[in-house]
Amino acid sequence: MAFDAQGETSDEALMVLYANGDRHAALALTRRITPRVMAYASRLLSGDRAEAEDVAQETMLRLWRIAPEWRQGESKVTTWAYRVATNLCIDRQRSRGRRRQMALDDAPEVADTALGAEGRLIEAGRMAALEAALAGLPDRQRQAVVLRHLEGMTNPEIAAIMEIGVEAVESLTARGKRALSAILSGRKAALGYEDDADAG
Amino acid sequence: MQDDLDDLLALAARRPAMPSGALMERVLADALALQPEAPGFRPAVAPRAGVLARLAAIFGGAPALAGLGTAAVFGLALGYYSPATLDYLMGSSAEAAEFFPDGDFLTAEG
Repeated sequence: MAFDAQGETSDEALMVLYANGDRHAALALTRRITPRVMAYASRLLSGDRAEAEDVAQETMLRLWRIAPEWRQGESKVTTWAYRVATNLCIDRQRSRGRRRQMALDDAPEVADTALGAEGRLIEAGRMAALEAALAGLPDRQRQAVVLRHLEGMTNPEIAAIMEIGVEAVESLTARGKRALSAILSGRKAALGYEDDADAG
Repeated sequence: MQDDLDDLLALAARRPAMPSGALMERVLADALALQPEAPGFRPAVAPRAGVLARLAAIFGGAPALAGLGTAAVFGLALGYYSPATLDYLMGSSAEAAEFFPDGDFLTAEG
């Protein structure tokens, strides 16, 4: 039986198959989970690609190790992976003792789009500003905002990942977004939003 | 700014950092290295032969040992009984009659 990254077999079933020696399941889980963990870690680590890759690999390593004891129905694989990645990112930020600001060399590779050169420049500037604004948030607010608005998780899923209540998630995301708005509002012109408004 | 922020977040959500091919290869290599073997793929371990089985193999296996054992028992019997017994078993003689005084019944007809 072969699986692809978007197959109908659930992640949890793939974990059981992996533990039973199914190599297709190993490949499918790698393709499904690694990109999500990589993107999430990159956002939490302010775009530090090298560190995000380390976190992604370490998270997946722990996933393979826990697979033989995995019990279907106890937890979602993605929830477990995001939780592990969150803790690994926190550990790395603490060990550095400071939050690294995104440098040009650290800019993550992003999925290509059909924009022209000027459009890509504007988008890249906006993305960099968002990364910097996210980096300015308290850790928990940043995690909640990233999980809710960038990873597309529901509040109950975020609550499970962050091991807090749903109300606390709502509070963190609301405060995080207000703080982001405050940080970015002073840069509207630089980000080209006023030009967009004028053009519209 | 709230609408702009929502647009910006939506844009960022569509542009995730992509894992490099090297990372995907490392992760898959880890997965395969740590993966438990499928039960059907485990080679059966041949049981180690016991001392008696290996000894039997030296002499040609169990049938050869059986023949050897029979010959040994027969040899012991011949040694235990008198040489006359052999004559008795192989044919007939006076000694046989002495050894088995009532041995006539062995050859008597009717």
